[in-house]
Amino acid sequence: MPHLRTLETPWRWRMWLASSLGFVLLGQWTGAEDSTPRLVRLTRDGHFKQRPVWSPDGTRLAFTRHRGTDMFVYLCDAQGAQERRLTDRKEPEFDAVWSPDGTRLALALDKTSPNQGDIEVYTISVQGSDLQPVATGDGKLSHEEWPAWSTDGQWIVFTSTRDDNQEIYRARPDGSERTRLTSDPALDAHPCWSPDGQRIAFATDRWGDLEIALLEIETGKLQRLTHSPGLDDYPVWSPDGGWIAFASLRDRNFEIYITSPEADQPANITNHAGWDNFPTWSPTGEITFVSNRDGSFDLYTIEVGKNTIGK
Amino acid sequence: MLKIGQLRATCCDGWTRREWLRAGGLSLLGVSLADLLRGEGAKAAQRTPPARSVILLWLWGGPSHLDTFDLKPKAPSEYRGPYAPIATRAPGVEICELLPQLAERAPRYALLRSLQHTSNDHGVAGTIGLTGSNTGAASLSGQVLPGDVKPAHGAIVSRVLGFDPVTPRFVTMGGNLHQGKRRITGEGGGTAGGLHDPFRLDYDVEHGVKIPQLDLIEGQSRERLTSQRELQIAMNRLADQIQNSPNVERFDQFYRQALALLTTSQARQVYDLEQEPEVLRQRYGRFRFGQCCLLARRLIEAGVRFVQVNWSSHVESVEDTGDGGWDMHDRYFQVFQDRHSWMLDQALSALLDDLHDRGLLDETIVVAVGEFGRTPKINGKAGRDHWNDCYAGLVAGGGIQGGRVIGSSDRRGEYPASQPISPADLFATVFHQMGITTTTLTGAGLTPQGAVIEELL
Repeated sequence: MPHLRTLETPWRWRMWLASSLGFVLLGQWTGAEDSTPRLVRLTRDGHFKQRPVWSPDGTRLAFTRHRGTDMFVYLCDAQGAQERRLTDRKEPEFDAVWSPDGTRLALALDKTSPNQGDIEVYTISVQGSDLQPVATGDGKLSHEEWPAWSTDGQWIVFTSTRDDNQEIYRARPDGSERTRLTSDPALDAHPCWSPDGQRIAFATDRWGDLEIALLEIETGKLQRLTHSPGLDDYPVWSPDGGWIAFASLRDRNFEIYITSPEADQPANITNHAGWDNFPTWSPTGEITFVSNRDGSFDLYTIEVGKNTIGK
Repeated sequence: MLKIGQLRATCCDGWTRREWLRAGGLSLLGVSLADLLRGEGAKAAQRTPPARSVILLWLWGGPSHLDTFDLKPKAPSEYRGPYAPIATRAPGVEICELLPQLAERAPRYALLRSLQHTSNDHGVAGTIGLTGSNTGAASLSGQVLPGDVKPAHGAIVSRVLGFDPVTPRFVTMGGNLHQGKRRITGEGGGTAGGLHDPFRLDYDVEHGVKIPQLDLIEGQSRERLTSQRELQIAMNRLADQIQNSPNVERFDQFYRQALALLTTSQARQVYDLEQEPEVLRQRYGRFRFGQCCLLARRLIEAGVRFVQVNWSSHVESVEDTGDGGWDMHDRYFQVFQDRHSWMLDQALSALLDDLHDRGLLDETIVVAVGEFGRTPKINGKAGRDHWNDCYAGLVAGGGIQGGRVIGSSDRRGEYPASQPISPADLFATVFHQMGITTTTLTGAGLTPQGAVIEELL
């Protein structure tokens, strides 16, 4: 069975899908051992969580946990242990993402509360010190959030309402060279970089409900990636650039799907009656996500590329 | 009771002397007393009001009607929002794609799509929603509207049925409602008196069920009140506090209820959610609102007649340092999509199923509504602001006909296109189903408000 990273083109994808189905059928016919993909539960506290993100070396995980009215960023090791808060701040902080060198994180902060929407993007060291602004409202009541760091470390993309509609912007990590990337009356949300830094994937409702779109940074060329009757959101690009995972409500239940950037038919990789959301790729090509499949909300990692398609 | 003209004088067993005589006369015509009693029993059964209890899910902060129960997919993108409508099991009725479990249960509930009232201030709108009137309401600026604060809907039920020192008639799950740091009016007994204030319970994921009333006993916790001696000490302490309190009568009633909840094993079991199967607790959702809905069902089963479940105590979302209300002027879609939508979908669906499975839905009215809706036009912060001119709510059970939509809004959801409905109309209908008539209300010294929505019945 080929590893996911080798599935870089649509024809290879289709060949692999066909062979996978063949293996499944053959397995059923011969009574071969269960082919269920490996699923690992990382946390067990049950509190609601959002946006887990792996460090570039795969040794640590950052995620946001809701606990009562608290909303803070936590770091843990690859097994879900050795957990600690990123900061000791009292105000809400969320959606932290790693810098490519693993020394800093970009995150959204409720800097001055109560404020009705004045959320800003900062970077902070992994030790929780040296808070530096990336995108602030410049005195205007706006929200800047959902940062994502380019793999060369030169840019941070984020959303902002500073121009009276939620659009996507990029800026240098020190906040300079801020540029608006989208301009549409619709809602544009949750951008992420392609590994080569040439494109971003994001969610938009410009075609009706939320769909995934790809935008070429230099040309501004826009490509619609999904065409589903249900919501598609939270796209994340695989480390090798061959795949995009996202959350979808197309089956009337939140599931994690993957598709190629060439818009192949997306495949459901979670297939569970529970609520599965906020996918993120590990450096080794697995997907970590938030799920309530065991009753409360925890982080899980699922193997991808081994009998996870077509189930 | 048999009626002869307007005579209503009754014997101690409820029959007038004339009715006994009439019954005797009929027997001479071949109609036995047993036949007569059967006939009266049938009439009584017909007259029995279908609803016995109410669960009000109070969606504090104001959900957007355009993103829940009244989508406008043909409106421009700055109005319609990012979600698509989905078909429900009720023919022709569509709701938001983020409410798929409720879509499956549409035959069990009716939607109101033309609710409206007169204020877009949380405080005033909250008072209107909870009492049917704006009198005595306090706005965010602190302005208090003329008139006395009327009793909350639950307090009306308590007033009509009479205070029960053992089982509270009216329970509110959650703390006092606020907008900003200001408490709103209209959550309690109002002109009916503090005796009919709600008994408060709450739940949090880490500590389970909480009984704020027990905070009356300083320095005590439910866990510690296990031995008779500790209980005696605590109650003596409470008695001392009551003696020194300016609100002796009110404290005394709370004392009695607190005592009953502490000392009666049956009562203590009511709020022990550990007695529920884990699978059912998960079905409601392991989050505060879900477990509060489950506790509401247990309270109704135990005889509480009106349970109000507050979604939050503050209107603001957690990101805005509130406690998770629906007042998302910014980032509405982010919060609604990530948390509020599926929490409401899961918990309300589980509640409807659970009540139905236990045969309780026929006698329990479930209402899910906020104090207003939100602006049809999306603001510049990816949010929606306050909108009282048109909003939506859900009502189920207790004889309410499901699978239908009452009222309609215009093409952008800005104003009612047909049949404007006030919060007072909604609760006039609820009371009607409980057998609480205008006569009952005036007899109890209360002012009837609103008109029954006949299309719901």
